[in-house]
Amino acid sequence: MTALSAWRDGARRVNRAPALLVGVWALTLLVSVPLTIALRGMLDQHLGRSLAADAAASGVNSDWMQEFGDQATGLGVTFKPTVIGFGAVLDNLSAFLDNTTRPVVIVGAASAYVVLWIFVAGGLIDRYARDRATRAPGFFAASGVYFFRFLQLAVVQWIVYAVVFGVVHGWLFDRLYERLIHEVSVESTAFAYRAALYVVFGALVAACTIVFDYAKVRAVVEDRRSMPGAIAGALRFIQRNAGAALLLFAANFVAFLVVVALYALVAPGAGGSGVSMWMACAAGQLYVIARLWVKLTCWASQTALFQSRFAHAGYVARREEVWPESPAAEAIL
Amino acid sequence: MQRMRRALLAIVLTATTTSGASAQPGVTGAIDPPLSPRNANYTITARLDPVTRTITGSETIVWRNITTKPAADLQFHLYWNAWKNPRSTFMRERALAFRGPSPSATDWGSIDVTGINLSLVNTLRLDADLTASRRFVTPDDDNANDETVLSVPLPRPIGPGEFATIDVTWTAHVPRTFARTGAIGNFFFIAQWFPKLGVLQDAGWNCHQFHAGTEFFSDYGVYDVSLTVPRGFVVGATGVQREKRDNLAGPAVGTTTHRYHQDDVHDFAWTTSPDYLERTARFEHPTLPPVDMRLLLQPEHAGQEQRHFDATRTTLKYYGEWYGAYPYGHITIVDPAFQSGAGGMEYPTLFTAGTRWLAPAGVTTPEGVTVHEAGHQFWYGIVGNNEFEDAWMDEGFNTFSTARAIAQVYDPNYLAVRYFGGFVPWVFKDVVVSRETDGNRLAGYRRDARSDAQSTPTFRYFPSTGGSITYNKTALWLNTMERWLGWATVQRIMATQFEKWKFKHPAPQDFFDTASAVAGRDLTPYFDQVYRSSNVFDYGVQSLQTEREGDGYRTTVIVRRFGEAIFPVDVLVTFRSGEPVTEHWDGRDRWKLYTYQRPAAAVSAQVDPNRVLLLDVDYTNNSKTLAPKSATAATKWSLKWMVWLQDCLLSWVALV
Repeated sequence: MTALSAWRDGARRVNRAPALLVGVWALTLLVSVPLTIALRGMLDQHLGRSLAADAAASGVNSDWMQEFGDQATGLGVTFKPTVIGFGAVLDNLSAFLDNTTRPVVIVGAASAYVVLWIFVAGGLIDRYARDRATRAPGFFAASGVYFFRFLQLAVVQWIVYAVVFGVVHGWLFDRLYERLIHEVSVESTAFAYRAALYVVFGALVAACTIVFDYAKVRAVVEDRRSMPGAIAGALRFIQRNAGAALLLFAANFVAFLVVVALYALVAPGAGGSGVSMWMACAAGQLYVIARLWVKLTCWASQTALFQSRFAHAGYVARREEVWPESPAAEAIL
Repeated sequence: MQRMRRALLAIVLTATTTSGASAQPGVTGAIDPPLSPRNANYTITARLDPVTRTITGSETIVWRNITTKPAADLQFHLYWNAWKNPRSTFMRERALAFRGPSPSATDWGSIDVTGINLSLVNTLRLDADLTASRRFVTPDDDNANDETVLSVPLPRPIGPGEFATIDVTWTAHVPRTFARTGAIGNFFFIAQWFPKLGVLQDAGWNCHQFHAGTEFFSDYGVYDVSLTVPRGFVVGATGVQREKRDNLAGPAVGTTTHRYHQDDVHDFAWTTSPDYLERTARFEHPTLPPVDMRLLLQPEHAGQEQRHFDATRTTLKYYGEWYGAYPYGHITIVDPAFQSGAGGMEYPTLFTAGTRWLAPAGVTTPEGVTVHEAGHQFWYGIVGNNEFEDAWMDEGFNTFSTARAIAQVYDPNYLAVRYFGGFVPWVFKDVVVSRETDGNRLAGYRRDARSDAQSTPTFRYFPSTGGSITYNKTALWLNTMERWLGWATVQRIMATQFEKWKFKHPAPQDFFDTASAVAGRDLTPYFDQVYRSSNVFDYGVQSLQTEREGDGYRTTVIVRRFGEAIFPVDVLVTFRSGEPVTEHWDGRDRWKLYTYQRPAAAVSAQVDPNRVLLLDVDYTNNSKTLAPKSATAATKWSLKWMVWLQDCLLSWVALV
């Protein structure tokens, strides 16, 4: 199977399991809605019964936003005009590449979200690997089986990404970049240096991601219990199938870019209240779902590629789990 | 040398006493009759070695004591010694406000006076080498390590009206840019670079050490400066180039000497680089004198010429119409190199703008900084206040004027945020930049409102808050005056101040006197609030209640003064019938109750509905309505924020 065939196969597997896509979207809402409600409360309280709310409801009340920002703490400090439309995406992309520190409450929410993903990762990959319905019991059973294995893997991931973002990023952008541009008096040249370093940093992050993705795929498909072994297996697989693995990752990255570009074209602005507010919200959620689809397609296509090279489509070493009967039920018998 | 000094003195004496035909400033930099006292005149010869980043210079200063007291010493600014080491007052103050990396060993700058000679010719002839008697003084603090003010005791005092000719030689090392001065690559911006006399006043020398948060102060005069740079380097400078000579022999072979001249200015700055693109244009106006504009542009900004010229035209037109004509006939716009740190600074007849490689339309970069720095030709260049002590008199006046001029031409303009290391701009076309709040920088003022009374000498402001008090607060209280008294009155105040104090050194009280006289009312209470105190303005509606009573409704409104500062405000109560009722509250009491018996219920109450008082630090609390839309607004904005949050979460999950 070629990389592109694997990508198509992965997309097909994701599309055949829409419940999983809906599920991870629900997971995203599960984390984001409580915080959104909290922020809504802050905004509502700050506006009170002020006429400033009229302008804020019908468009942008920049003065009010600045006043709110000046007194805000915690979650509130993240509420800025940059949340409008595609600016929100640029803000996060830029923060990712520039390793911008986020407020503790956002880091906490993101950490919780990551843990939830670690939990569902086994169920997701298992479902895509089997390429047939596993139903909720099968999904959650697989999630449970792999949760603690993937937690071990997450410890390794955390250490690696801590080095990548905490050390390598600082070395690249705070030291090397500053040294490179110290005597540069042309902005486009400085940007070229920075863009090149983004490529280097992005490639490093991508390399790590590919390894950890295939470690998870091998863990599920081959029922590996040792995560260091899974990482070693992933490295061997990537080494022997470098072209296909990299091309597949590139295909998934292009899919991500396409989604982002499409959202750049249609992202709603500030808008007003009423129907347009909900339309804007729907557009935003469609974008989020599309991003989630890309993420799932990435895993599904990597699974498809691995199976095509080392086994066969739908092969999973571990027998399909069924949700364990309660011991209490046996006691009744 | 002696003969040259006498010739120079004769020229200056002639220039300061001649009254003749109208000024013809554009071609030669000469202005006749003199516009200023011309009591500090500099003839400078300097040579730049770009490889070693060294300047070797000599100057002849013809100085006249225009005070009523004799001068027992001479005091010179040696600004570049502020960057000699981390122990200077400038660097220590900078460290209080900014914790960045220390400059590397090659980044420092310095200036070393190697010789001072004095000649007095008016009365008893005197020639004296004063080099050995020079010493550093610290009038502002006890920092023995600060070497930015040099005092030279005189063998005998220089009496009122007496001339002195002072010859100074020096060498200087050009720093990596501090305070908009220095070099990067082959870009050089050279300002505050020569030994420069302070301002002698009746109270003595006003010659402050160089501080991190303040700028400059000096007397007007004639500058004639010869600059020798490598051949092929483009030069821009204060004044008009009178001569350009390639040096074909001798130690200066391979160089070119550019001679610039300008009358009636109080400083001289210059720049050189082989990379500049040179562009020219002309400002013309039915009632204002024409101005030749010269733009020195970075190659990567080719295509932005017109934006620079249009912004400069905007300034010359509106400032000229509002305040008074720009008298020099020429202006040089310098587009500084990336990372030079030289952007956004004013010098007589020359200023640095500042743009970006990616400069989208609809955003006022480079227009904002260009209008502002060009505007300093009026407030700083022509009206020469003491920036060490009263920087608000130029920076604040100019921030107010900049916002006003921008609003005339560049409306609407939008918020732009730069991403990816600050390189990639994104324009938020939903967020229109407002003249009143964004242009006058309300957010920054709100943050630092309580830090210092504006009457505190600027160089003593709390570290890093000087900008908010100097630029923002002044612009806000001037714009408040405009909304309170009307533009016609404020325009006459500013124009009168300009006319009365051009080519002079006004003090704050001079402006306050002008304002009260022109407005026809004593504005002292207002200036007591905004200038002599750090109290904040905050008016608000405490409660709005309307209840059925008999056939109609009884409405009560309580308005409050939450802040300490006082200003008269209107209170607008609107009823369901559409009837508005406006009350005029003197704003003195802590609160005030208004009661109404009307056929219709009230809908809303608002303090300062026209937002006259732009200094109000919390405008959200200025109103209350009985039909609030806060829930709708909060829902709308929290839903937008949720997409941002979800996207943020997805960027984390990309690593899972």
